[in-house]
Amino acid sequence: MLAIREMARRRLQFGLVTGVVTLIAYLVLMVTGLGLGLNQAAGTALLALDGDYLAYSDRSNLSVIRSQLSEAQATDIATAPGVAASAPIGYVAAAIEFRPGEVDTGALLGIDLGAIAEPAVVEGRALTETDTRGLLVDRTWVSLTGTGIGDTLQVPVGLAFEPFEIVGVVDEGSFFFQPAMFMLRDTWRQISYRAVDQATPFASVVLLQGESLEGATGAGWEIVTKDTAFWNIEGVSAQQGTVDALRYMGLLIGAMVIGVFFYVITLQKVSLLGVLKAIGASGTYLTTQGLLQVFLVSLTGTALAAGLAVLTKATVLSSDAIPIAFTTGAILSSSVAVVVAGVVGALLSMRQISSIDPIIAMQQQQ
Amino acid sequence: MALLELTDITKTFGAGDQRVEALRGVSMAVEAGEMVALVGPSGSGKSTLLAIIGALLTPTAGSMLIGGRDVATFDAGARTRYRRDQVGFVFQASNLVPFLTARENLLLVGEFGGADKGALRRRADELLKELGLTEAAGQAANRLSGGQRQRVAIARALMRDPLLILVDEPTASLDTTRGAQVVEALREEIHGRHKACVMVTHDLEMAARADRVLEIRDGLLRAHGAPVV
Repeated sequence: MLAIREMARRRLQFGLVTGVVTLIAYLVLMVTGLGLGLNQAAGTALLALDGDYLAYSDRSNLSVIRSQLSEAQATDIATAPGVAASAPIGYVAAAIEFRPGEVDTGALLGIDLGAIAEPAVVEGRALTETDTRGLLVDRTWVSLTGTGIGDTLQVPVGLAFEPFEIVGVVDEGSFFFQPAMFMLRDTWRQISYRAVDQATPFASVVLLQGESLEGATGAGWEIVTKDTAFWNIEGVSAQQGTVDALRYMGLLIGAMVIGVFFYVITLQKVSLLGVLKAIGASGTYLTTQGLLQVFLVSLTGTALAAGLAVLTKATVLSSDAIPIAFTTGAILSSSVAVVVAGVVGALLSMRQISSIDPIIAMQQQQ
Repeated sequence: MALLELTDITKTFGAGDQRVEALRGVSMAVEAGEMVALVGPSGSGKSTLLAIIGALLTPTAGSMLIGGRDVATFDAGARTRYRRDQVGFVFQASNLVPFLTARENLLLVGEFGGADKGALRRRADELLKELGLTEAAGQAANRLSGGQRQRVAIARALMRDPLLILVDEPTASLDTTRGAQVVEALREEIHGRHKACVMVTHDLEMAARADRVLEIRDGLLRAHGAPVV
């Protein structure tokens, strides 16, 4: 094949183009990984909840922070048509002192034992009724802070800090960009509202299992899917928009760079392409050869970039301090996007190739 | 019946004040196995005529029959297939693909479709041998000498066993000795393979090696059938 032979014989030229494509694809993949990592930080704990829907107070604008549900509302929600199971969840952010002078913010999630919101424990033990000062803490945070089972964390209750013990480790990720920490819901009420009585909110939201619950409303509450709930986490949509904009700009720049490179290469070969047309090569044959080169360069560059990105994540960014994550799907979709952008960018060159008049074969000197 | 028959071919470029009549009613015929040299000063219309015969340009008027078919009426796709299957071009500067070897340059025409690749490989080896290029077969085209390049170009032109060979100033970049060798090799192939050939040249000495020399001047064929030198 002419296209492949040319690439093999002009290794430096095509190697340089491939190198540039690699860098652009690397940028796109890293931005994708960052977006994915940020999304995970935003709400893996929410997405990991064993339910399909969340009920909010109807004036909360689907904000877990602002949502407050009474016991009556929670009962009303739990008995709504189509609900198979429910679990009230409380949420509050709190400054957690995990070593003297070392503080981090945690997402304290109040749950009921045995309910569908109770997370699976991967190390240690589950909470019990007596663990009023017990916590289940996310594995990543435990690893980052060097804490472990049996360690004591200082959690603000009212104006004072009180000791809470890590009784178990869970693998639920983050909530609102903060490590998820599960506690008994009654404890959450004390931390959030100090004095607990009938007027104290019963939960922030209610996790639900069931069918066709989306859009259901009741006295002061509304139900949305877990996916809707995720995209309504403060900052998630804006953050995803920013990441998407960066990705699209990367793809646009990639398309333009590949397009310019191949346009220049095409211009350098106009006389040769004219000769090939003169001796019987069709425009289809020549554009196919051109597209094959663009495809191979884009594919090779993207494959190298994918390897480089995974290597970067495994080495330089191996700690969880920078929220970057890759999935096979994300790498594949970004890789396909770069290859498509490359081919689209090179369409101008293909138009140039198809418009070359073979008469130039007789008009040039060597 | 002649293999190539042109009748009243005219070619006009531009319009109005810019109108130029490059060819003004050219009629000629070339038999199979015949090598015709086309001579004339620059701008006389000889390259335009060669381009029309090769379907690189379409005539403004007139007919051009090759094997009984009027090429002047072909659409773009048919012209491409005509150039691929029935015409072999040898250009002034050989115009080989520089990054391919001599042999690969010959086999390249097989990639354009409509050919038995196995037969083309055998034909490539046969032509390389006939033209004394066996040792140069594996060399990149841009490392061949000028004479070798033109001989590879002749071999490439013959690869698909065309009816017609069109040659544009084949010796322009060669010295006299090498030029003569190239034209002689071309002549042998034309006669041996019974092809029709039209060769445009400035070089009257090379033109004299053709079977017939036609002179074109101001778009008209002035001498027909008899050498002008």
